[in-house]
Amino acid sequence: MNNMGYLFAANLFVWGGVFYYLFRIKKHQRSLQNDLDLIKEAVEKGTEGE
Amino acid sequence: MIWTLLKRPLKRELKVSDEKKQDSPILIWLTVVAFLAAMIAIFIYVPTEQTEGAVQRIMYFHIPAAWLAFFSFFIVFLSSILFLWKKEREWDIYALASAEIGVIFCSLVLITGPIWARPIWGVWWMWDARLTSTLILWLIYVSYLMLRAQTDAGSMRARLAAVLGIVGFLDIPFIHFSVLWWNSVHPQPKMISEEGLGKGMDPSMVATLMISLGAFTLLYLVFMGQRIQVEKMRDEVEQLKKDHLYSR
Repeated sequence: MNNMGYLFAANLFVWGGVFYYLFRIKKHQRSLQNDLDLIKEAVEKGTEGE
Repeated sequence: MIWTLLKRPLKRELKVSDEKKQDSPILIWLTVVAFLAAMIAIFIYVPTEQTEGAVQRIMYFHIPAAWLAFFSFFIVFLSSILFLWKKEREWDIYALASAEIGVIFCSLVLITGPIWARPIWGVWWMWDARLTSTLILWLIYVSYLMLRAQTDAGSMRARLAAVLGIVGFLDIPFIHFSVLWWNSVHPQPKMISEEGLGKGMDPSMVATLMISLGAFTLLYLVFMGQRIQVEKMRDEVEQLKKDHLYSR
């Protein structure tokens, strides 16, 4: 029995799943960091005008 | 622009941490090296199994993914108990992070299993006790994540999720013993068998499985670190919005 296609498909799903999740986390981190930077900027502008 | 929301100057001190969140490069590189070692072991070192052929190598992904799914849900179980006991947000974050990672690993189990089964059993799926109970486990923790996504943030959401996280874990012993209690088509445990730990397999297969398990465990730790960081950043954003913007 050879069935290399099945082995390849399983590998594809495993690595696809791992990288999809990793990129999704990184995307969330970037978005939240952006929000934090915006809030920081907003608060700083607010205190400057005081 | 978000700063236009500010109508008057702020007196409170800004709590945003200036330091960028740091990844753990040692852990990440260790995981990369572990996976390289696992790939070499799976595709070069370990001999091809005589009856199943190359497709048997799927087991070196399938089994570690299953163990890690169980381990993730055990962390959910433990963190949920600690959250209900201590009422600290920290434990709720660990439970959520681990549940999400557990669902990812459990999904990989439910995908790689049928890919292995098709050439070996001749069918993609059977309503066997172990397969069905694993699918139920996946559904329980998907509903756990849906409950968290659909309910308003607060202690009630965290409490409900903690209860579901604890109850859901009770399926895991059932999954483990299902192949022993019933006539299952799923292969019997070979690592933990009556002959002794790892005695039911060739030593090269045991070594390969251990390397792969190590790599997957490191991946779990990387995922946990990253996911916890996301949740803490989200908390920080919400807190800052509440303190500096919504209160204006």
